[in-house]
Amino acid sequence: MMTSALKPRFASSFRSVFGIRSAFRLRPFTRPGILGLASVMTTCLILTASPVLAQNAKKKPPPKQAPPKIRLPESVRTKPSKLMNVPPVDRKSRSGLELAASKLDDLIESKLAQKGQTPNRLASDEVFLRRVYLDVAGRIPTLAETTRFLDSTNPEKRVELIDRLLSSPDYVSNNYNFWADTLRLVNRPQPNIVAEPFMGYVKEAIRSNKPYDKWVYEMLTAEGKIWDNPATGYQLRDDGMPLPYIDNTVRVFLGTQIGCAQCHDHPFDQWSQYQFYELAAFTAGTRTRIKRGDPGFKKTNPANAMINEARKHYPQGRVPGAFQRMIRANSYKVSEVKANLKLPHDYAYGDAKPNSIVEPEVLWGEVPSKAKNAMPRTQFAAWVTSPENERFHNTIVNRMWKRFMGVGMVEPIDDFRDENINANEEAMAHLGEELIRSGYNLRDLTRIILYSRTYQRIATDYSLTSGEPYYFPGPTIRRMTAEQLWDSLLTMSIRNTMPFQRPTAQQMKPYLDVDFTKLTFASAKAQSEKFGETYFLGKYNREILKKHGYKSRVLCRASELPSPSKADSFLRQFGQSDRETINGSAEEATVPQILSMFNGPITHVMLEPGSVMVDTVLGIDDVRGRVEAVFLSVLTRKPTAKDRIAVAGEFNKVRNRNVAYGNIIWALLNTREFLFIQ
Amino acid sequence: MCPPIVGGRLIAKRNFHASSNSPMSRIEYTGEDRRSFMRSVASQCLGVTFAGGLGSSLAMNQAAAAPTASGKAKHIIYLFMEGAMTHLDTFDPKQGVAEAGETKPIQTRVPGVMFGNLFPKLSYLAGAIACVRSLSTETGAHDKGQYLMRTAYKKINSIQHPSMGGWMLNDKGRLNRELPGNYVIGNTNRHPGAGFLEPSLSPVPIANPANGIQNIKLPAYLPDQLFQRRLELADKFDTAFQTRHRKNPKIEAYNQLYDEARTLMGSDQLKVFDIKEEDQKVRDAYGNNPLGQGCLLARRLVEKGARFVEVSYGGWDMHQDIYGRLPEKAKILDDALGILLKDLHRTGLLSETLVVLTTEFGRKPNINANVGRDHHPGVFSSLLAGAGIQGGQVYGESDAKGSYVKKDGVSVSDFNRTIAAAADLPLDSEQVAPNGRPFKIGGDGDPIAALLA
Repeated sequence: MMTSALKPRFASSFRSVFGIRSAFRLRPFTRPGILGLASVMTTCLILTASPVLAQNAKKKPPPKQAPPKIRLPESVRTKPSKLMNVPPVDRKSRSGLELAASKLDDLIESKLAQKGQTPNRLASDEVFLRRVYLDVAGRIPTLAETTRFLDSTNPEKRVELIDRLLSSPDYVSNNYNFWADTLRLVNRPQPNIVAEPFMGYVKEAIRSNKPYDKWVYEMLTAEGKIWDNPATGYQLRDDGMPLPYIDNTVRVFLGTQIGCAQCHDHPFDQWSQYQFYELAAFTAGTRTRIKRGDPGFKKTNPANAMINEARKHYPQGRVPGAFQRMIRANSYKVSEVKANLKLPHDYAYGDAKPNSIVEPEVLWGEVPSKAKNAMPRTQFAAWVTSPENERFHNTIVNRMWKRFMGVGMVEPIDDFRDENINANEEAMAHLGEELIRSGYNLRDLTRIILYSRTYQRIATDYSLTSGEPYYFPGPTIRRMTAEQLWDSLLTMSIRNTMPFQRPTAQQMKPYLDVDFTKLTFASAKAQSEKFGETYFLGKYNREILKKHGYKSRVLCRASELPSPSKADSFLRQFGQSDRETINGSAEEATVPQILSMFNGPITHVMLEPGSVMVDTVLGIDDVRGRVEAVFLSVLTRKPTAKDRIAVAGEFNKVRNRNVAYGNIIWALLNTREFLFIQ
Repeated sequence: MCPPIVGGRLIAKRNFHASSNSPMSRIEYTGEDRRSFMRSVASQCLGVTFAGGLGSSLAMNQAAAAPTASGKAKHIIYLFMEGAMTHLDTFDPKQGVAEAGETKPIQTRVPGVMFGNLFPKLSYLAGAIACVRSLSTETGAHDKGQYLMRTAYKKINSIQHPSMGGWMLNDKGRLNRELPGNYVIGNTNRHPGAGFLEPSLSPVPIANPANGIQNIKLPAYLPDQLFQRRLELADKFDTAFQTRHRKNPKIEAYNQLYDEARTLMGSDQLKVFDIKEEDQKVRDAYGNNPLGQGCLLARRLVEKGARFVEVSYGGWDMHQDIYGRLPEKAKILDDALGILLKDLHRTGLLSETLVVLTTEFGRKPNINANVGRDHHPGVFSSLLAGAGIQGGQVYGESDAKGSYVKKDGVSVSDFNRTIAAAADLPLDSEQVAPNGRPFKIGGDGDPIAALLA
């Protein structure tokens, strides 16, 4: 493959890359006239030594040296001093939570014993470290983080790490992805609903660790415009679909599926159509649009009036998109009026007549007494979030359990019913009690799970489709989620993985909010132009985010990117949800995923000059240390003896060590070990 | 008896009355006529090179695949309208009731059969189409309905059922060894894929038909030899992990698909994915939207031997302003399916390709306060056309308001079994899933004999 005559030249380029400054001398090896090829050659660690290129090398003298071209955007190349304030977890509660974790382990282990099974061994530090980073921070650890942890002799280092990660911006980002998948967070649920304030609100609820019951209660009762009260975004997500809204809400927060009963008595469950309507009756008075009596709304809808007015001013009556969106966004406002719900006209059961009015009634238990005289939405929210409502805490416990263990105690996680067994009722009840005791503190619930031996054991190869129940001898082997994979690739590539953050309600309000009592066409036009330059989605995606782009990919963590991602984006390829179905993300293998890992731009970012990976490798002097750094960076473990033999083989075949390192990194990214969480 | 193939164009001679201006119009024939027509087309077409880029590879590779009975479908193009397509405003329009909404029925070219007025092209082609108006399910939830429609089984925990493409590829094998046999085009989530069958049978997703399959070529700096060595290196690094987790089906799925991806990259037929090769006029005729371009890509894939191509197309969940949104959507569907049928017919492929149009459930007869229609699993419609199907008919009936099945009810399983029968899939053989339970293709229903050619 390589002639001996070429060896010295490769050797000299090797020195130039690692020694002084540049890989630019490699230019002569490229085919003349193919600029793209030349630039790839000069800027990637992955360099080649094909016979064709070698021949060209003989013919052409080396050009003058020039510094390598940095193609990574400026914004991602420096580590930011601070991304956001995340309040640290309470150290004082640690021992109490450790006790709770220990009780959890006892319950899991006694169940295992009952079933004649034994728990797995505890996982090694390497495996634990990678797993806990992916689970909490949503990414693999950096080389420095790995070394620090593995070298530490602190006996408390696992607990210390868990607490530190739960107090980091990484945690907020990772947890946001989880909720975005569950709550179907999208920028535009409908063309005129601007939902970014709600998305920002969800992120903020995670950052501030808002008590879970309070958070859900807020979303179910919120009133106003979305930038004044961003929790209204929850209601607006299902705007115009009052019955699916009830179905989705009960499924997400109460782990109960009543959707079939919307049309007829549930064939596989206990719910009747009448019960569905009784529950829906609580939200029959919800209104999502401005109405007569609201500011500026006398006889006609002021949003329509303003757009009609604008048609007169713009040439050919073409009102710009930003103007229309801004005005229409102001026609959404959540409120509650007194209203009744009627049964459908074709109601077919004997217990009531078609079209008759249904009185609100809960599915089980009762509305807490403090809310009994409140408006119906409030009654509903109080019932959902009450500590008396076991399904409420069991559902969140089950969701969190699945996140960290790979399988829920009840599966599917949002379908609690007799037919679906609970693998460990006592453990679920214990975690539920702890959650209530902590004041619905989700971070503390997470700490209990992560502190446990159960979480820290070796993972099992388990598949739900085996039909066998799983009693949790350890977590299960999982594929990284699309977001974990994306964020991990960024971690190996760039120093600032969050060059921008999603906008908040406060930031957006001045660009969106209008007062219809004072609005003139001129003031609307001026404001809409500002909106058009900032948060108008076309502009935002095309220009604002492009500053952080590399080969048309925006280099920022998944949590901050607009949602849903494009169908052919890397994230969607790897199963990120289109955010239309609850928990719609998937982990199935597909051919395009593999092609992306082989040939896609994102696996090449880390091989660009100035990337974390390139600088790490170049910053170490000895070969042994470099190889170790590569393995630790990609797989969070040191190379084994066999790995070293394979590496040595590669070095023998390729004299240019740059090429060899590129090959090794590429090969590591394309292992199943990289893709799966042990 | 046999329609000759001249210059790639199928010209009907007997029993098939084609008017001079369109090869597809006025398809009026008896069942017997059609059956013999289909048989003869199929016997004529085997091993013949068609126009439109159908390479000889198809004929060459045919030996490897299981034979398909003549007249039955060798390929299926399955158009799935995600979000629940309204039946009342498409293929089961009503008259004289408020539930009909703004849709008016129009006469198709099959006497007595009416479609909605937004479907002039499909009305013109109705002679080739079997319209099923008596489907019903029990679920009004999109994800469950979609799963049920694609697999014929209720979604449960302990098993992932295969969709029809997986079954078909499993039974019939590939027609073209260099390319995958099963695809899903479009923006879809959580497709059941090959279910519990081999992962290599799962559909290759193509999210955006205009872009084809991305990243299929090696970066310019990377010669094939070096790529091969990198793969070997990856295998070496991965040995310990793989040995520890040999029995994990999810990891095994990746192993299989790494091989698939590698094979695909080596293929010299990758141009099939590039619809930009088509004349701009052809692309425009299909429609510059995901469904139109998806149908065009589906046709190209079928030409190259694909067994099953699903084109998934969303946006049908019209809870609001249905008559504001429907015209655009309907035109897209009418154009895309219309030209697809014509194009397949033109190249002779319709005689060996079954085209299905379906959705997860219907929409409520009662128009709601937001001038939309809500979910309605009580009755809905689907279309079948092409190989194995008796066109020019309506099967089943809904009641006067389009609320419930009135006559000849078709369960989701019946519908799937009809598709399977049209493709000559073994209806009675059982496949044992990992949990030890046996499953039949399309469930336990019965194929509808009247729909089959």
